Amino acid sequence: MPVMNSPYNGRQPNEFKILTELEGVPNSRSLEVYKKYGGYAALEKVLKGGMSPDDVINLVKASGLRGRGGAGFPTGMKWGFVPKAPGEKYLITNFDEGEPGTYKDRYIAELNAHMLIEGKLIGAYAIGASKSYIYLRGEFYDEIAWCEKAIKEAYDAGYLGDNVMGTGFKHHMDVYIGAGAYICGEETGLISSLEGKKGQPKLKPPFPAVKGYLNKPTIVNNVETLAAVPWIIRNGPEAYKKFGTEKSAGTKLFNISGPVVRPGCYELPLGYPLKRFIYEDCGGLIGGKKLKAVIPGGASAPVLTADEIENITMDYEAFASAGTMLGSGAVIVIPEDVSMVHVLENLMHFFKDESCGQCTPCREGTGWLLKMSRDIVNGDGVPGDAEKIADVAGKMMGRTICTFSDAAAGPARSIPQKFAHEFVEFYKTKKNAVQAHG
Amino acid sequence: METKVMASFFSSALNEKIKSFIGRYETKRSSILPVLHAVQDENDWISQEAVQALESEHGLSVVDVNEVLSFYTMYRKNPPKPYRLEVCGSISCWLHGADKTIAAAKAHIAEGEKNGNPVPFECHKVECLGVCGYAPVALVNKDRHLNVTPELAIKLISEYSKKELPAAAKKCASDLAARSAHQ
Ligand SMILES: Cc1cc2nc3c(=O)[nH]c(=O)nc-3n(C[C@H](O)[C@H](O)[C@H](O)COP(=O)(O)O)c2cc1C
Ligand code: SF4
Ligand code: FES
Repeated sequence: MPVMNSPYNGRQPNEFKILTELEGVPNSRSLEVYKKYGGYAALEKVLKGGMSPDDVINLVKASGLRGRGGAGFPTGMKWGFVPKAPGEKYLITNFDEGEPGTYKDRYIAELNAHMLIEGKLIGAYAIGASKSYIYLRGEFYDEIAWCEKAIKEAYDAGYLGDNVMGTGFKHHMDVYIGAGAYICGEETGLISSLEGKKGQPKLKPPFPAVKGYLNKPTIVNNVETLAAVPWIIRNGPEAYKKFGTEKSAGTKLFNISGPVVRPGCYELPLGYPLKRFIYEDCGGLIGGKKLKAVIPGGASAPVLTADEIENITMDYEAFASAGTMLGSGAVIVIPEDVSMVHVLENLMHFFKDESCGQCTPCREGTGWLLKMSRDIVNGDGVPGDAEKIADVAGKMMGRTICTFSDAAAGPARSIPQKFAHEFVEFYKTKKNAVQAHG
Repeated sequence: METKVMASFFSSALNEKIKSFIGRYETKRSSILPVLHAVQDENDWISQEAVQALESEHGLSVVDVNEVLSFYTMYRKNPPKPYRLEVCGSISCWLHGADKTIAAAKAHIAEGEKNGNPVPFECHKVECLGVCGYAPVALVNKDRHLNVTPELAIKLISEYSKKELPAAAKKCASDLAARSAHQ
């Protein structure tokens, strides 16, 4: 178990509030409330306190902040990849939030989108971008409206425009609305979409930091990543590192779904015990049901059995060493009475639907995985099918343009392997075909 | 008939919106997604006539527009029913019985059809809507609903059915009527 930098035992609920400080505050989305809680003080500190772009990058590096969109890449380091040469650069916020189980970025906008806007302004100053976008998924009608309103307020208050806070720094911001395609969450797919094209990912390198939107240097950051930046600037990197573990600094929004008593979006220090989260914070499973499995980081994360979560903590390293990932922090709880064969079929339906189709292993592989898992669910499976699924999945890894294919392969390898006995039950009888779950 | 040939395919308000989107981003091409959203908001769907008109009246290439139209699932390429109940069937919602919600809604719609008492609804299963903790999640057009049990789905269908039809649905119906009169 990793050593926590600050013990969570005996904590007060307010101690972890970096992103969720405005939780429960009346009229939390207004600029006025945001300012009352220290809003835009970080921007002022950066622009008027004599911080250079490199000072900002170094401070964010020192905080240990890692990308909250899934990959966990160190944010300050990523900003540092942008060439220093003059010219157009862009900062794009990834607000596509399409990974099943994930509903954290929208929670930030529901509390107050200015957190994101201020973080973006600071990031934009650090990389030298005079234009930024918030790319939101099209189904987020409320969230789009909240972001648009906050951007307008920021313009009216002089935080956006040709002369931000009278400092000569120029920054413009706009929203861009997607139209229903999970793959637009992948950063190069997102950039294609923003260019008005199909949201198909592109081969890396070149990385967007060098050649992105309109072939200009572009940083794509998740909402939660950027929203943490103002607090880090205000309070300093050491204060941020007090939360979390050595390699997973800070707090993270954990969004839990599945049949738990208190679902929701919880801000917790990284390194928090998963079991404690499910049973104490979220109240355990509805009706006291037994836990069968947990998908710890959104639909793309390999599944963990109830035994495997016994002592695991929620941080990048602990999940990686258990063969899975922290991903978006989406904890999906699966109770004892749900068949894992059905879970596999549901997940494969998602991946088959959302593959953008440009790589053969992904396009064909997701089709096969869905067909094979569906056949088993329908009672047409024969012994050896589970192994075949894992085998097909193995061939989809590491050979495609983006990591979507690997993500689809994750559950398709882990479920048949860890729950082989459930597949055997399905081979025996056709009666499962008519037996609905739950 | 002369004036009819000259008239724009789009309303003047929509033309203004399209123009503002075309000037809003670094390239004209980036305006395609927002323009298609705007067309759909007014007409309820995006016909090939609309796509042609975007080229002839606004200079957006038919090829580029159709590339976008076919890739993204939110764009409706056929005239829809006035209300779309879109229920998330992805993992978290499925764990909370989304399949049952979808089945109940579809059965309810089919029953109305059979009894000669049709509801102005269609129901689709969609992938994750990004509010997974309050499953099953569903949209009725642009309104989000949480914890949509089979009972709630049927209640929503009845409630919306009693309301005045949305403007886009009315426009869609009158466009279709005009088109079939023309043929
Ligand atoms: C298939 C796929 C889907 C993704 N979806 C999202 C998403 O919805 N939101 C997000 O922030 N990142 C998503 N990502 C990760 C992005 O590609 C990118 O790493 C991230 O936005 C970078 O921001 P960060 O460094 O702040 O985490 C996805 C990646 C893949 C491969
Ligand atoms: S791996 Fe799949 S989703 Fe990614 S680019 Fe290839 S086909 Fe598209
Ligand atoms: S899984 Fe249904 S809203 Fe995310």
